[in-house]
Amino acid sequence: MAAVQETIDQVRKIDVDQYKYGFETLIDSIQAPKGLDESTVRYISAKKGEPEWLLTWRLEAFTRWKAMTEPTWAKVRYPKIDFQDLYYYSAPKSTEGPKSLAEVDPELLETYKKLGIPLKEQEVLAGVTGSRVAVDAVFDSVSVVTTFKDELKKAGVIFCSISEAVREHPELVKKYLGSVVPQSDNFYASLNSAVFSDGSFVYVPEGVRCPMELSTYFRINARQTGQFERTLIIADRGAYVSYLEGCTAPMRDENQLHAAVVELVALDDAEIKYSTVQNWYPGDAQGKGGIYNFVTKRGDCRGHHSKISWTQVETGSAITWKYPSCILRGDYSRGEFYSIAVSNGYQQVDSGTKMIHLGKNSTSRIISKGIAAGYSENTYRGLVSAHRKATNVRNFTNCDSLLIGDKCGAHTVPYIEAKNSSAHFEHEATTSKISDDMLFYCRQRGLSAEEAVALVVNGFVRDVLQQLPMEFMAESQKLIGISLEGSVG
Amino acid sequence: MNVAVMKTKAEQAISESFEVAAAKLPGSAAVQARRAQAIGAFSGLGLPHRRIEEWKYTDLRANLKEVLPAAVEDKTPLTIAELLVALGPLAHVDAHRIVFVNGHYRAGLSDTSDAAGLMTSTIAKALQSASEEAVARLASTPEGGDAVEALNTAFMTDGAIVEVAKGASVNRPLLMIFVRAGSDANAVTVRNLINAGEGASATIIEADVVLPGAVRDTHLNTLTEVSVGKGATLNHVKVAVDEGKSLHLSNWEVRLAADANYSGFQFSSGLGFARNGINVLFDGEGSKLDLSGAYLARHSEHVDTTLVVDHAVPHCESRELFKGVLDGHGRGVFQGKIIVRPDAQKTDGKQMSQALMLSEDAEFDSKPELEIYADDVVCGHGTTSAELDPDLLFYCRSRGIPEKEARALMIESFIGEALDKVEHEGLREALASYAMQWLGRSRRG
Repeated sequence: MAAVQETIDQVRKIDVDQYKYGFETLIDSIQAPKGLDESTVRYISAKKGEPEWLLTWRLEAFTRWKAMTEPTWAKVRYPKIDFQDLYYYSAPKSTEGPKSLAEVDPELLETYKKLGIPLKEQEVLAGVTGSRVAVDAVFDSVSVVTTFKDELKKAGVIFCSISEAVREHPELVKKYLGSVVPQSDNFYASLNSAVFSDGSFVYVPEGVRCPMELSTYFRINARQTGQFERTLIIADRGAYVSYLEGCTAPMRDENQLHAAVVELVALDDAEIKYSTVQNWYPGDAQGKGGIYNFVTKRGDCRGHHSKISWTQVETGSAITWKYPSCILRGDYSRGEFYSIAVSNGYQQVDSGTKMIHLGKNSTSRIISKGIAAGYSENTYRGLVSAHRKATNVRNFTNCDSLLIGDKCGAHTVPYIEAKNSSAHFEHEATTSKISDDMLFYCRQRGLSAEEAVALVVNGFVRDVLQQLPMEFMAESQKLIGISLEGSVG
Repeated sequence: MNVAVMKTKAEQAISESFEVAAAKLPGSAAVQARRAQAIGAFSGLGLPHRRIEEWKYTDLRANLKEVLPAAVEDKTPLTIAELLVALGPLAHVDAHRIVFVNGHYRAGLSDTSDAAGLMTSTIAKALQSASEEAVARLASTPEGGDAVEALNTAFMTDGAIVEVAKGASVNRPLLMIFVRAGSDANAVTVRNLINAGEGASATIIEADVVLPGAVRDTHLNTLTEVSVGKGATLNHVKVAVDEGKSLHLSNWEVRLAADANYSGFQFSSGLGFARNGINVLFDGEGSKLDLSGAYLARHSEHVDTTLVVDHAVPHCESRELFKGVLDGHGRGVFQGKIIVRPDAQKTDGKQMSQALMLSEDAEFDSKPELEIYADDVVCGHGTTSAELDPDLLFYCRSRGIPEKEARALMIESFIGEALDKVEHEGLREALASYAMQWLGRSRRG
């Protein structure tokens, strides 16, 4: 079946030439000298006033990176990146020094206002945007401001930039940094480990339910600059945190590199919900410019009964190379991955997840929807594996793709590896098999089969998306509403 | 990474083995040149290993350590009675027969006398006398061929050439028997060409069997090229039965013309280390493909089924169903790729792969892949792996069926779904009894 008109219209609204966040903020910035060698790594570390151990850690990563080659297995094509033709550090001049909200450069505040990000707590409290969300705003290589810090502190939650965490909570950073994504994990993760500039740090102590949504908003502004942020979230025993991430960049006809690393650690009975609305500049209608998004995201369900859930809405970037994964180490742990990836123009998306079952009775669920239009390529690539000792594990995977037009491509590359007999794996592509009971229930209440499927599949995603404080929530919801008609497995 | 890898001992030995065998392999000078070219291509490629995506789960380089001498000639005595023993349940299938012993044609055992519309001949003969053009066709590695197919071109000794005449409907199936007998452990390399003419209809069975008591650790490399003409119907079945020692490398290269109807089935049981590759190309509109198979593996057997279905033209339909039962340390691998080319609108493709794991140590790796470039298509795939459903087992036992029997029943019905795809009744029954034999011998069956 071909896509219905309604779907086509909706996808058109978020086509590449409709990019709304393409403006540039004119602001003085300090940059590291162009290129990458050991001195760049030292420069960044010194700029941030980092302790010796972290510099050593970075240099180790850099040494490893030098010995690595770029991965070529993904279904994406792009000219070779010249890693010496980039600035690895760029910070607005005005952000040097302490930053309470009052001290932040008004130019920056204006930028975030334009992007629809509430940085002023009073406004947020006054109900300007509805829900209350604490924001860590990262502009190029530095964190500009983190809101609601005091209130979070009362609850015992640490939410700050990672540079601050290195200064204030070195024991936590030392313990967990690189424990999920090691320095030598892959080409881009190693690069990130060597030159990461900023990012968010969250620690939720034992038994605490984080009182509000936490979020980070990443903005690339400077030219020829790569953004390398690093996020580390730790939920201690029985803790809960929901975290949102948003990203945009100006429209330029050059390709910019974004290589982030996100590490999540969930201890016993803890739960982390991580949502992303990725809306980097996708390039123009001719495929010129746009962000290369090479991101390593991984969660470690370290404790028993822990849970990590990834939700992503991917609409931006010229190239997406991203596989938010869960290592289900704890017994009875649970991993979830919900993804909607829309590609338009000449975008190339190669995204998916890995569910690595190591703990007994661990379960996982993968729901992925890829929508390809224009000349784009949209690939789902995923791995579900059960270790020999991981008995009674369960996985359900469903990935649908929809093609609009005959110049684009949609691909599915799942890997399923069951190394013991009690592993129960299902990989399904037909929408009617999600849960017959649920569907039956919906249909019994008068919904059509298609409405029922949409309701079931999207119920999970909607849950998270409705919490999004940012302007693009509307867009995300438009995507959710996209009809399932004409989808292919 | 493009790092020059040192050749393994086995790779070296294969090249040396070719030097020894070359003079004795059949074929004109042109054929010999092709063979030399193929071994050259192989040297460049080396044995496929797990770093090569298509061989991720089946590391041939790690599993082919000892190179056996090529079976360039064969004098093993074999009687009809012995052949029937080797065939087992297949002996009861009423069919025309063409027999190869250790990769060499045996006229005395073959019988295709009353096969109207069916012309059979052998590769060895064709290689000796072929014209330039025929040589190019016979001794070329199929497009996109890999190292295994290159080896096939280099070492092939014989095989069947089957022509089904235009419009002919062949009365009985043709059974192509490849039997291994004697006590010499060697490498048997066979090439078959099957061509079903326009509007023809036939059933062709390939059987890889072993004479009881014969040496088990043989290496087999079989390549069957199939071309199904316009509006033709071909049922193609491969049965490979062994007892867990041999190395099987099998490839089917299938090309379907417009409105063709091709149904392919592969049954394997007890193969030590096997890779069954199937490539199907839709070359004309309105064709139908039904591929299915069943494999049984236990001990430390390894069975890999890798298929690529290429929808290059619009309005074609493909169905795949593969089922595997894994016991002991048995490992099943399924890789299925469906490609829908940009203009192949109205494609309808469905694929299913299921594994039943009977022991804790069994392993199943599956990689169903879709590569779709056309928007008006219906494509889907599914894959599952699980153990026997304890609830069902309990149900059977509560009805008074002993556990052992209940398990056998459930396994039988699991495999049965795939076997039902075989149209020929006698053949279906023969396969069912192979499965039963396997179950009877299985540790817990």
